Amino acid sequence: MRWVDFKESLSEFWADFKRQKTGLLGIFLLALLIFTALAAPILTSPDIPEKWKTFWLDNPKNVPPTWVNVFSSQKLAPHLVLEGSELQKYLKQTDSGYVIEIPYNNEYDVPPQDIVFKDVVGKSEGIRKPTLTVKVKRPDGTEVVLLQNYKFSGNTVIQLGTNPAVRDALIRWVKSQGIQIDPTKEFQYKTLMDATRVIFGKLNENILEKPEPLQGTYTFIFEINVPKDASVDLDNAKIIFTGRTYGWLGTDFKGRDLLAGIIWGSRVSLAIGVSVAVFSVLIGIFYGVTSAYFGGWTDEMMMRFQEFMASIPSLPILILMGTYFGGHISLWQIVLLLVVFGWVGVARVARSMALQIKEQTYVEAARVLGASTGRIIFKHMVPQLLPYAFASMALGVPGAVLSEASLSFLGLGDPTAVTWGQILHDAQAAGAATNGYWWWVLPPGLAIALVGFTFVMIGTALDRVLNPRLRRM
Amino acid sequence: MGFGRYVLIRILNALIVLTLVTLVMSALFVKVAEKDLQNRIIEQVNAEFQALQKQGRAPENPDQWRAERIAYYRHEYKLDRSYAWRVMYYFKRTITFDFGNTRNPVFGSERDVKAILKRAIPRTIQLFTTAQIIIIFLGILLGVKAAQKVGSAFDRALSVLALVTSSIPMWWFGMIMLLIFAFELGWFPARSIPDPNLTGWAHIVDMLKRMVLPVATIVFVSFGAWAWVIRNIMIGTMQEDFIMAARAKGVPERKVIYGHALRAAAPPVVTMIIMSLLGSLGGAIITESVFTWPGMGRVYWIALETNETNLIMGLTFVNVILYLAGVILADLTYGFLDPRVKVGASQNV
Repeated sequence: MRWVDFKESLSEFWADFKRQKTGLLGIFLLALLIFTALAAPILTSPDIPEKWKTFWLDNPKNVPPTWVNVFSSQKLAPHLVLEGSELQKYLKQTDSGYVIEIPYNNEYDVPPQDIVFKDVVGKSEGIRKPTLTVKVKRPDGTEVVLLQNYKFSGNTVIQLGTNPAVRDALIRWVKSQGIQIDPTKEFQYKTLMDATRVIFGKLNENILEKPEPLQGTYTFIFEINVPKDASVDLDNAKIIFTGRTYGWLGTDFKGRDLLAGIIWGSRVSLAIGVSVAVFSVLIGIFYGVTSAYFGGWTDEMMMRFQEFMASIPSLPILILMGTYFGGHISLWQIVLLLVVFGWVGVARVARSMALQIKEQTYVEAARVLGASTGRIIFKHMVPQLLPYAFASMALGVPGAVLSEASLSFLGLGDPTAVTWGQILHDAQAAGAATNGYWWWVLPPGLAIALVGFTFVMIGTALDRVLNPRLRRM
Repeated sequence: MGFGRYVLIRILNALIVLTLVTLVMSALFVKVAEKDLQNRIIEQVNAEFQALQKQGRAPENPDQWRAERIAYYRHEYKLDRSYAWRVMYYFKRTITFDFGNTRNPVFGSERDVKAILKRAIPRTIQLFTTAQIIIIFLGILLGVKAAQKVGSAFDRALSVLALVTSSIPMWWFGMIMLLIFAFELGWFPARSIPDPNLTGWAHIVDMLKRMVLPVATIVFVSFGAWAWVIRNIMIGTMQEDFIMAARAKGVPERKVIYGHALRAAAPPVVTMIIMSLLGSLGGAIITESVFTWPGMGRVYWIALETNETNLIMGLTFVNVILYLAGVILADLTYGFLDPRVKVGASQNV
């Protein structure tokens, strides 16, 4: 085929394809998916696959996305992290150390789960260690000392929400405000109190039992006292208001940002789907054409083998292979296995199509001219099957994507990669569906469906353009 | 070539496939089981050692004693034999449905793999056939309807539905069903394991209630694609001359469709039914584990989570057998319905 012919047929094809609305939509979605997959390290951060195996300690666990506030009557506090230059804005140096004053506008019905002061490093040469005092000025004018002269050294994490000293301080404060506490319940409050709800609660007799939210601007004051021969490093320090909601897609049981998982999952899904479809269709076409070209005994043997492969159920064998590989199949192994089972159907159709092409006069002419077997197969027969090949490649992607997702869902996936199937496996193992964690279950499946749908649309459009015989359908 | 001979050759063919697949499976399994057994031997020897220590009869030379015990168990578990011998050994055991025991009990106190499978398979079949009957019924009804009015709004809606549902994972849809109907609305129980306190009529009602969600999931995800294929087959048949002849004769349209066209389309439709039954078995099995339906899918999930290799082997073998039986059935019905079929059909396609 000359280059001019190729260009002409391509533009002809495009003119036809343009009329297929579903095909264009498919192309658009595909471009979007490819962009997401390629831009994953920029959209999120490049260390996500590494981080995915660990617990994300800073994040809240199992919380819905932030935008649920738009739809619900109860406003939930979002996740807020102050670090780096943002934290430095609130930082002041005094004679005795540092003061961090953070205004926090609590406009929510449910306050943050916790307030964490993290990665502050204290060093001391002498006996006296640096100390931390935390106060909060509430919108009703009262001031509570949450933590008094807390000594620390080394890398320190202070969780105000669960710290027993903070609970004690809150009980003392409530008492000092003239509110009676049932003495028999005091111990219970000390161990079980939801401290942040009290900090952000209205000052009345219910404050410990059933705190009502008090909205307004709070000021948290972190006073760090640094003695003479000690030093405090605040360069990596973070103050985290652990949210009741997080980001665009919420978090899972390990506090992982599900949006990052979905974005990174697109890479695996696309890579596996496309490579499996391309390889299995190519193998199938060559197998079918070769079988048809040789005919006779070769054909018979090749078709017997094809029948043998076709009568093996793939999923159970894949599961057994998964256990054979030690419970986890790495990505290239999944591709290999899916290709091994994927070429079978294509080979059968390719063979019957090739049988017709073989009888055409130009193949006979080529043979008479002395063309080699390889040349006839590759140059004269395979190109005739390309239209069918492209359509079945596109139509083969959803099956491969689903198979990979199913294997990952069963826990046999690649542990070093982030995949949608694995996110759903974790969701299933944590009972996400029966606990109502919809933000954990919905997006991965929708993403799988989107990839499948994209390729089905492209495939059917290609089929209609390239195989006009089927147009009546 | 007679039908009897056709049947015989088909069955022989399936048996050869079964033998080869089981050989490959055994070869894989021996490798998996080897690691598993080595761990088990060390556990057992340690346990024995501790038991002896407690009784105050600790062996004088622990290392030698340990080596002896390990050698004993290696002999017991046939680990001292050659790889090829063990492959053949497991092959023989698998072919005769002897899969050994699991380490931890499944379904209460059951540890025999064969007994576990005996309990699980009927439950899977119960769920699966119910769903398939509904799918076939809906599929034929909707497919024929769409074929009657090609290009109509109904036809297009069906095509879109088929496209969308064929690209969603069935098990994921099951999770969504659970979210909506079990968690949000609370209409159906979230777990499928029946309440053991109920008997008689109440038990049946309880069972049915627990079947609704899994069956609805399988039906919803499969029926669109199904109806679409039937539509395509029917469109092909409706263009044949004999349909035109029947119409020209004045046969009522209803009778043309259900009496003439559907009957002529029967062979591919029946094969489709059986093949898709087999094809969707895999998806349905994973869906089972979402609903904790105590069938094969649930057992698969348990086996994979707890690394029960014997159980995985048994499940795989039974699955292969079910699949092959289905393939034979499909072939036979096709050969029965369409007398043109011959053995070695590939010779003259």
